[in-house]
Amino acid sequence: MKKLIAAVLVLTSLIAATVAFTQSFNVQLGDTKGPVQPINYSHKIHAGKLKMKCLYCHYGAAKSQWANIPAVSTCMGCHKIAMTDKPEIIKLTGYYDRGEQPKWVKVHYLPDHVKFNHKRHVQAGYQCQECHGPIQEMDRVYQYNSLKMGWCISCHRKNLDNPTHPATMDCLACHH
Amino acid sequence: MSDSVVFSRRDFLKLVGLGVAGAAAGCAKPPADKLLPYVIAPEDILPGVPYMYASTCRECPAGCGILVKSREGRAIKIEGNPNQPIGSGGLCARGHASLQGLYDPDRIKSPMIKSGTAWKAVTWDEALATLGAKLGAAKGKTLLLTGLETGAMAKLAGEFASVYGKHLMWEPFGYEAVRAANAKTFGIGEVPRYDIGAANGVISFGADFLETFGSPVAQQRGYAALRAKRSDNAGWFVAVEPRLSLTGANADEWVAIKPGGEMALALGMANVLLQANPAAGGADRGALLSAVAAFTPEAVQAQTDVKPEDLKKLALRFAQGPTVAIAGGISTQGAGATALVAAVNLLNHAAGNIGKTVLFDRPLNLDGLATFAEFTQAVKAMNAGQYEVAIVHGANPAYSSPKWATFSEAFAKVPFKVSLATTLDETAELCDMLLPSSHAIESFGDAQPSRGIYALQQPAMQKLPMFDSRPAGGTLIAAAKAAGAGAAWPAEWYDYLTATWAPLHARFGNGRDFEKFWQESLQAGGVWEDVASPAVRWNGTPAFAPLAPQGAGEFALILTPSHHFYDGRGANKPWLQEVPDMVSKTVWGSWAEVHPETAAKLGVKNGDAITIKTDESSVDVPVYVYAGIRKDAVSIALGQGHTSYGRYAAGRGVNALALVPQGMDTVAGALAYQGNNARLTRGSKAMELFLQQAEKDQHGRNIAQVIPVAALLAGGKAEGEKHIAAGKPGEKDYPGHYPAGDGVEVQDPSQTKLGKHTEPLARPDGYQTPAHAITAFVPELGVRHPKSNPIDVGSYKNAKHRWAMAIDLNACTGCAACVVACYSENNIPVVGPDLIRRGREMAWIRIDRFEEKLGGAAPAGLQANDVRFVPMMCQHCGDAPCEMVCPVYATYHNPEGLNAQVYNRCVGTRYCSNNCPYKVRAFNWFDYSAPEKTTFAFPEPLNWQLNPDVTVRSKGVMEKCTMCIQRILEGKGNAKDENREVRDGEIQTACAQSCPTQAITFGDLADVNSKVHEKSFGERKYWVLEELNTKPGVTYLQKIQRDQTSEAHA
Repeated sequence: MKKLIAAVLVLTSLIAATVAFTQSFNVQLGDTKGPVQPINYSHKIHAGKLKMKCLYCHYGAAKSQWANIPAVSTCMGCHKIAMTDKPEIIKLTGYYDRGEQPKWVKVHYLPDHVKFNHKRHVQAGYQCQECHGPIQEMDRVYQYNSLKMGWCISCHRKNLDNPTHPATMDCLACHH
Repeated sequence: MSDSVVFSRRDFLKLVGLGVAGAAAGCAKPPADKLLPYVIAPEDILPGVPYMYASTCRECPAGCGILVKSREGRAIKIEGNPNQPIGSGGLCARGHASLQGLYDPDRIKSPMIKSGTAWKAVTWDEALATLGAKLGAAKGKTLLLTGLETGAMAKLAGEFASVYGKHLMWEPFGYEAVRAANAKTFGIGEVPRYDIGAANGVISFGADFLETFGSPVAQQRGYAALRAKRSDNAGWFVAVEPRLSLTGANADEWVAIKPGGEMALALGMANVLLQANPAAGGADRGALLSAVAAFTPEAVQAQTDVKPEDLKKLALRFAQGPTVAIAGGISTQGAGATALVAAVNLLNHAAGNIGKTVLFDRPLNLDGLATFAEFTQAVKAMNAGQYEVAIVHGANPAYSSPKWATFSEAFAKVPFKVSLATTLDETAELCDMLLPSSHAIESFGDAQPSRGIYALQQPAMQKLPMFDSRPAGGTLIAAAKAAGAGAAWPAEWYDYLTATWAPLHARFGNGRDFEKFWQESLQAGGVWEDVASPAVRWNGTPAFAPLAPQGAGEFALILTPSHHFYDGRGANKPWLQEVPDMVSKTVWGSWAEVHPETAAKLGVKNGDAITIKTDESSVDVPVYVYAGIRKDAVSIALGQGHTSYGRYAAGRGVNALALVPQGMDTVAGALAYQGNNARLTRGSKAMELFLQQAEKDQHGRNIAQVIPVAALLAGGKAEGEKHIAAGKPGEKDYPGHYPAGDGVEVQDPSQTKLGKHTEPLARPDGYQTPAHAITAFVPELGVRHPKSNPIDVGSYKNAKHRWAMAIDLNACTGCAACVVACYSENNIPVVGPDLIRRGREMAWIRIDRFEEKLGGAAPAGLQANDVRFVPMMCQHCGDAPCEMVCPVYATYHNPEGLNAQVYNRCVGTRYCSNNCPYKVRAFNWFDYSAPEKTTFAFPEPLNWQLNPDVTVRSKGVMEKCTMCIQRILEGKGNAKDENREVRDGEIQTACAQSCPTQAITFGDLADVNSKVHEKSFGERKYWVLEELNTKPGVTYLQKIQRDQTSEAHA
């Protein structure tokens, strides 16, 4: 019996350790609902219903390694006139008038020590949705794909011999 | 069931629950990060894209043009501005490190007023009101003490002084003797421009023209042009100095002159030259001849230790002009220095160099710079109570003037003293009020460093929010206005500055309106024009009287400016402390250089303390035993020994200025840094010398190679060079194919057979070398090379580039600008002296110094000199020893030929470092990026400087040179954006970009038209430790040896 208890103990701690170890590689930061944001901005309305181009607001995605979070002034370009009586727009106008930055909660997490270049992927003709999922259907944005290396590589591997935009499998392309 | 261990089911579950809870806690979600957008989108800034702002370096009077790289509103790196005539794209170590002056964590946080001994923070309004009241009562009794100012700030200071008193502009290195001698001999009291590149040869009379004197970056560029000459009687460089400086270490020959004998040597050479050439001297021949008549080669031997035949040889070589003799730097700040510079002027004139290599078209602008004598006058006036208020900006005389000049005592007598410093330095400590100035990188300004150059300085970022600073000019204006004066001035410094540019707009506007002219000038870094040289004629020959060193003691004391710290203003920058001095290879402290024999006599070795005593004072310093100094001399560098000036400067080493005895060069009014004697005794204090490279012998490994100029001209191979380039473009052997047929002897049949682990040397017809395997390197004959990995897979198949580097040792001066540039670009942590001594420095590129022929048993007179500098970084080997030992594939050969290091994979076995023959890998022994650790290297706001494109490494991982992969990716990206191939020269590593002599060439070896290809497959090429067959991606070019002391040249 003692032996059995010991064995169970060892086994349990092993399982716990394994769970802990694998979890450390497996941190899934984006949850499937997406975090509550300071302003209830809906991509579903803007990108879905109104069919606005992603790059209208996130113009940095085509020109920079980073896709920019649009400035409040970008929102106000329309919302000075549009929907000014809606509570969320009143909230937005409040930020603008106070000159305050809304503290958006980060949704997409890459693993540590990796660089991702938006410009390269957008210019190669990939749709935002290929990584970010059906954004146009999301009221609240959540991380759709794992964004882990295996997921990146699966696409890069397929495009190694892409005639116009060959992908690279070199570690240094992302890890530097 | 035994009763020893009994678990109840409940307890067991608790335990298991604890374990799981622990495991869960170990990987709990970190708190969600927040993303903050702009409220108003700036029109010209896109996050993630770097912007370059043209500006002007303000670390020394040279005023090189710079480009400040800014990311997300933070200045992260400084590079030379290729379009500005000074510097032409190069930048020295001090220029790179000025970023750390901006981000110095010890900067003054807000205006402060001294109450008792403590500082009390006040608002700007309060401070300016107080100062205004004091100024109002001190009209005509205010001293404004600044460093060298040119342009708008000089104008403002002059106008300020016209109301309130006196403006004294003072620099510790004021080159008074050069100015005085040039005024006397040429009628032009300026520091000329030396066109070193146009000369056949250079003789330096103690001038550290590659380090601090004049315009070092421009002079380095000229030096590279000089040394590149393919001729056996052009391109030579002789250094005349009792102690071989970094500049002197680059010379072919060293005249280890008796201290104080430089003038006699110059006159002796002029004597020989005039005698040998009846036309020399032209119209002034008579005057020159009579001036030098007493200085025959035989007569000057006693003063110089130079044999008459050596002197004649030197003089006749010098006569084959154009050549240039340079006297300058603080070696010409001492009693008798004016006569020395005049003697060198005479020599240049006799050789016909004036107007050819010694030019007054674009002299250094030192207009209005006070001499040391004028500085002491001001001290006297302060002592006599003539001043009610003193305002100090850009000068630190409490540190950089000798104690006997009694600056501190006199300054204390001024009732109200204000400092406009950025960091609390020694002078600021003595003040009653601090009004922190903005750093040059965060404020507007201008400079006229040379005639015809109107350089602009613009902020590359907003003022750092944690430091409530204002531009010094604005503070002066506000203070004057608070005192009720200055009504004619605009309220803002910016408006004052633009107003002073109105005349320039009239001259350079070309029909543009002012706003357009101003914006375009800002973008270019300023405006410049060619200036005609004023007529230079021989104005008069001074009397020459030799002067031996003064004071008690048997050793001549040689004080040198610090290559890194200049007069001491760089000492608060950790990069400059961490990067070794290139003469001694010491870091983070002071040292004194003595000859080995002297050291033996004193019974001291490296690191032992000695006491240096002059008539004035004494200091204790650790010894560095140096064969490049005369037996009768001792040398110590200035710049350390701060008592204040922030955490990195205070308390390190000693301030050697304490040794300077009372006295002056009365002719020029300069402080007599040189010309003093000192006594040496063994010290009793325990001291430490932090040597980054203790061994300066190559032990026959031929790491730094040379080729005699004769062999080069004969097209021959230098000793050690085994192979010539394989194939020519277009042939199948090319590029990087191992040769088959012509030029290769197949010595035994095994070379053509496949071994188990090897492949034959010769490749089959039609074989295409993949990009990553292209190399200029040819392995030793008779050796089959290791089997290549399959290369037709993955990204290796389609790769188009082979990144590589060529380093021309003939151009490298060992200035270490590349090292600091690398620290800046690649987020390399500063680890401090203790870890460096243990071999744990983190530098990705270092400069090894090898002393082949240096000094000797008793350096005296003319002798050959052979000191070699080798920039050493990861060689990006084709067959890398590090790659094959990594158990986790953290280091591997990438498709474009780089030896990569993946931090995520690295588990820190350090096998790679052990197996690297070049010792270029650095291991993170501690967490230099963790704020809670004592080893933290980036205290706020130094962390603002970090390059966001480069990972900040953590404890336990290996790191090394990446050939600036982030810059390669950026360059390739730019090319893709424009749908074109990468252009040669478009991508530059940080080291190659910064090199003032362009010794480093980076590029694509697979591009047969690239510069790096030309150099890697050209003459003089070799590879460090090539016998290891590592197929390095870094090709070195041998230094050309031009030593003419041998019999062949007799």
